Amino acid sequence: MTDTLSFDSNNSGKNGKHASKYQNAEPDDKNKNWLEGIFRKYYFYHYTQLELGELINEHEFGFRLFDGKIRRHLAFNDKKELYAYIIKFSPSDIFYSSSRYQSPTAEIDQKGWIGSDLIFDIDGKDLHLECAQSHNLVLCKDCSFISKGIISKCVGCNSTRLQIIDIPCARCIKSLNVEVKKLVEILNDDFGIDSEYIFVYFSGNNGYHVHVVDKNFYDASAKKRNAFAQYLMGKGYLIENLGIRRNNEGALIPMSNKILYNQGWRRRIFDSIHLSIQNHKIDDKFVKKYNRMQDANNNNIKDAINTHILDLSAKIDPNVTMDIHRIFRLAGSINSKSGLIKAFCKNLDSFNPFVDACFIGDSKVEIESKLNIKISLKGKQFSIKTGKNTLPEYVAAYMICKGIGDIQNQT
Amino acid sequence: MCYITKYNLVVRFGNKDLAKYPFLKEAFSYITKYDFKLEDLDSKDYLHLIDKAVEKIENYLFFGKYEYQINYSKTHETIVQEEVIIFLISLLLIKSISIDAVTKKFALLESMRFEKYLISDLNTADRDDKTIKLILYKIFEDLFSTKILLEVDVYNFYKIRINDYLDHPIAFQEKEWNLINRTLHNGFVYLDGNEIVRLFRNELYLLIIDRIKKKSIDRIPDTIMAISKSIKSRWEQMHPSINAPVYNAVTPPCIQHIYDQISKGENLPHPARLLLGTFLIYSNKTLEEMLELFKRLPDFDEKITRYQLEHLAGKRGNSKRYFVPSCEKIKLENLCYETKICQGISNPTQLIRKKLDI
Repeated sequence: MTDTLSFDSNNSGKNGKHASKYQNAEPDDKNKNWLEGIFRKYYFYHYTQLELGELINEHEFGFRLFDGKIRRHLAFNDKKELYAYIIKFSPSDIFYSSSRYQSPTAEIDQKGWIGSDLIFDIDGKDLHLECAQSHNLVLCKDCSFISKGIISKCVGCNSTRLQIIDIPCARCIKSLNVEVKKLVEILNDDFGIDSEYIFVYFSGNNGYHVHVVDKNFYDASAKKRNAFAQYLMGKGYLIENLGIRRNNEGALIPMSNKILYNQGWRRRIFDSIHLSIQNHKIDDKFVKKYNRMQDANNNNIKDAINTHILDLSAKIDPNVTMDIHRIFRLAGSINSKSGLIKAFCKNLDSFNPFVDACFIGDSKVEIESKLNIKISLKGKQFSIKTGKNTLPEYVAAYMICKGIGDIQNQT
Repeated sequence: MCYITKYNLVVRFGNKDLAKYPFLKEAFSYITKYDFKLEDLDSKDYLHLIDKAVEKIENYLFFGKYEYQINYSKTHETIVQEEVIIFLISLLLIKSISIDAVTKKFALLESMRFEKYLISDLNTADRDDKTIKLILYKIFEDLFSTKILLEVDVYNFYKIRINDYLDHPIAFQEKEWNLINRTLHNGFVYLDGNEIVRLFRNELYLLIIDRIKKKSIDRIPDTIMAISKSIKSRWEQMHPSINAPVYNAVTPPCIQHIYDQISKGENLPHPARLLLGTFLIYSNKTLEEMLELFKRLPDFDEKITRYQLEHLAGKRGNSKRYFVPSCEKIKLENLCYETKICQGISNPTQLIRKKLDI
């Protein structure tokens, strides 16, 4: 997970897990210098895009700089102080804690945790979408060759040291939207959280962050948050909750006349498998229908139900939800993996990240592309050929952030 | 929805039902208003109550039975007074015995007794019987700081806010009590009468232990001290101290932790019993050796334990022998206490093999 920084992220640039691709860049690395300037320009003109609450001094801030170094445990008295820092250092990524602390700059166990919003992370790569096979790229860390599609060995040098480059498409975003809606529905129905307290953000690359601002859950411990995550993912659901028990022969049979409150996961599963329960009671009609279903599934109803649970579950990263000391990408800041910003989605159906999260300028620049590729940004389609291309800054920034293009000499 | 606020919890209990809940402040007031003092217990007037407390404790400690009859053939006031005094005597006896395992066994069986009353009251109470409902709400709110609400439209379902529910350890201990296996709706966890009381069993148990701890040993009357000595010596005869640890250095830390819990007289959740049972079977312990260990559990029932161990060993039912759960499963059950010696293993039994390989 690289849209957030967990507690074990340190302040040095040595931690490979979070190292930037500019970590070993020479001071005169053209891509680094150009991007740094572009990011600075964005923050200079668009600092109001950064979403900051009232109690900014109680949050921890963290930055990843273009040299790969990570600065954590920082705090600012007010917005002006923060803006000045950002414009001065032009970081590649900006993070801040969802948690509020008495002393945000102290060591983690000395910070004095006050509380935190609930955060859920849905990452495109965790959905294992079929379309990703066709449009994602693979970079060989040994020979720098870039291949299309998902491969296990470099076609250039046979190396297995490969890195996937996400190039999400509109279908990926659609699938992510479906996942976000599932999550929001469970939060609404089961957790009783009204939609007005649920804020959905495009992560800036290939995922969504869902923030829940609800006082009922603000002081929930990491342990409780883990229980929420397991619930949302449907992990560990016992089939007995559906009024089914195993008899002496090991067969699953319904418990006639059992009273079960038909809500939560139970209702969701019953609806999904079209098995209705009347008046919260397992009646004869249910038993007959269940038996028919059992026959249709060759007595393997458990597997069939588990498949439904998997479909219905929210595909969140549980580590993000339960980690109360994690720092998250600041809404309105640029994601250095794409050049797009983490943007608030007021209406998920009409939100188009390739338009609504693209804020970099459109002056023309020359870029050397490492491959032929089609990119759609700000509503325009760009057919890019290997070699030199003249493109708007926002396309150039996207390509450099993805590692598929190099900026040429600027005049 | 019926929401019981602190305001209408202020009720006058003139009801014999209070005898079932002697740990409540209202019940205690029945003896304080008559200027009852602990020293009074040395008087002959209270001998019958001391006898009743001793009988109850002996049933708990030596037979594992929590059958207890409240004598309802008296005036309401006397019934409540006597039950409060019997409860008090019991706490004093246990305090003066001063053995952790005894305290825990008593607390568990006493809490199971109260649990039985609560289940019965919750399931049979008429919706118009406000008094009994108020007692129940009071127990939950005052003693366990949990507000319960009633869903009048749906059978006998009670509901607790999700966050409050997760304050109860049981929500993390056993699979069927994990949040995923509860019915959630609109911010609440829904429970039926039996479940709501089981949820509070652990708290009831802790409350009794706390009451025992808070009693001052200096103020225990001589009569009580003398009786407690005989109970103590009978217990010590039945439970001689363990001379050497049952396991040696290759004992997996998860098993050692369970063993430590048993030594302290603590009760074990079901997954821990399963882990211990399968591990002992794997270690070729005889049924009698295993029973000797399980006997130390506060809720030990020889018949049930014997059956379950035989079942695990594949000697009953479908003859399937259960293997020791994997480390992954043990972690999921929160029973893993990993140390350096666990590096590279995926099942606790590998530690035994490791030792044999040396």
